[in-house]
Amino acid sequence: MTAAPILAAKAVGWQFDGRQILDTVDLEVGRGECLVVVGPNGAGKTTLLRILVGLLEPSSGTVSLGGARLASLSRRERARHLAYVPQIRPTRVPLTVEQMVLLGRYPYLSPFRGAPRGSDFEAVGRALDEVGIGGLRERLLTELSGGEQQAVYVATALAQEAEVMILDEPTTHLDPSHQREIAALLLELNRKAEKTVVAATHDLNFASLIADRIFALRGGRALACDVPARILQPELLSELFRAPFEIVREGERPVTLLELGR
Amino acid sequence: MNPRTALLVLLGIWIVTVLGAPLVGSQAISLQDALAGEGTAATILWRIRLPRVLLAILAGGALAVSGLAFQTLFRNPLAEPYTLGVAGGAALGAVLAMQLEWIDSAVGFPAVAAAAFIGALSVSLIILGLAVTRFGVEVTTLLLAGIAISISCSALILFLQYLADFTKTFRMVRWMMGGVSVVGYSEVLWILPWVVVGGVVLLGHRWDLNLLLTGEELAASRGVSLMRVRFAVLGVTSAMIGALVSVTGPIGFVGLIVPHMLRRWVGHDHLFLIPACLLGGGIFLAICDLGARTIMAPAELPVGILTAILGGPFFLWLLLARR
Repeated sequence: MTAAPILAAKAVGWQFDGRQILDTVDLEVGRGECLVVVGPNGAGKTTLLRILVGLLEPSSGTVSLGGARLASLSRRERARHLAYVPQIRPTRVPLTVEQMVLLGRYPYLSPFRGAPRGSDFEAVGRALDEVGIGGLRERLLTELSGGEQQAVYVATALAQEAEVMILDEPTTHLDPSHQREIAALLLELNRKAEKTVVAATHDLNFASLIADRIFALRGGRALACDVPARILQPELLSELFRAPFEIVREGERPVTLLELGR
Repeated sequence: MNPRTALLVLLGIWIVTVLGAPLVGSQAISLQDALAGEGTAATILWRIRLPRVLLAILAGGALAVSGLAFQTLFRNPLAEPYTLGVAGGAALGAVLAMQLEWIDSAVGFPAVAAAAFIGALSVSLIILGLAVTRFGVEVTTLLLAGIAISISCSALILFLQYLADFTKTFRMVRWMMGGVSVVGYSEVLWILPWVVVGGVVLLGHRWDLNLLLTGEELAASRGVSLMRVRFAVLGVTSAMIGALVSVTGPIGFVGLIVPHMLRRWVGHDHLFLIPACLLGGGIFLAICDLGARTIMAPAELPVGILTAILGGPFFLWLLLARR
């Protein structure tokens, strides 16, 4: 990468209960890039994302945001640059879509101000339109389908007006049509709105569909980081997942299939 | 209903309660005499009933808003000062102070209140320490720890009562029933600043509390400092509960029933829910107390008995409705 990365992890490690969850991981995300982290369950994907957002302090190594050390920024400052969509969330959030998306404005709100300003509501309106859920504004989150809820969480992250969006397993539990919608949405945000996107998934075809580069993580260590065509290769995938894969469509964005043996 | 309209309606009912409740009681009084400031009627109205209603209004509001804060902070509808043992801790502190006859501490702060506050805060911190892990709040641990702490506090209170002489024991038992019967305004004025400060601090954290509804991970990633919010909210509610319990004794389940009813009415936004609980809790406890002092007239029940009788089944209903 020639330009300076917007988000970079240097030799990042994280230990928990004496176990090394992440081990000297180096990662650079370019401005406007879409980077997808793939790896098997327990590879450390969520831990890596949480460290990148600043929710976890790495045991070793550093994370920098636009050249500044992430740990030196205040929580609110971080939140103005990094928007996170976690995978693990409460099952019932009793708010309306608008109330929920408005909470994305938290990093800009002062606790002493009575109400959000006009600019906050404008940001909410823009976020809802960009995601295409303006019609759901007054609906309760608990009444929405899984796909719609995911769209609301993405809208909340957009209302945060951060240049980097970090999403953990954005398509897990979604049916194919909603997976497609989320993929299209992320691509549009990445290409048109010039958001930098970092997502973690174990869905290889979803990764292939949206990623500029794929970062393969196994056992807390970086295995490889390259364009989809180079990562989605049978040898590398079998090493990554300890399972045989077949490439059913070659090209810039390969399509893979789990091989069940003959 | 629009939350603003709901809040206005609540305010209306609140005003009617404050003005109307003192007029009702086991003894019929002539409003004319009372307002003229003459004789028994005036004494009953101004020295007994009005302070009692005002105390109920403040105490109910404080209990309801504390329950709300606990429910949001621990993301559990069954959390409130009573079920989490915080009220029990406050009661233990207060009973200890009564037994040891601490009347005034060196700083002129009522010793019973100070001991109740320390009891409430200690239990809050113990619960926080037990139930909060790096992955968030463990709800089962939280509620079970609350039960365990309540049982321990009750046992220690029984022990202190056993040690106490007959008069003290009677005073303690009567106080443990929870009531708002006072004479004059000193208790009302003592509780007022705690409720005002508590309400203002909680309202200042409305965004943090709203964000906590969406999960701790999301809240933290938006810039909420979870530790700071937990300490601020627990500190201010413990102070409120401590001050309150030192006067009224433990009054259970208001913090469970009222926020639950009001959420259906004003929604979940803490900007409206906090003032709604302050008003609605006051109305609820004042009306319960109205019942308590008329059901068995001329005898007056401690209101804590009534709320506990209502609260037990309500708790079970909440538990089953969640299935």
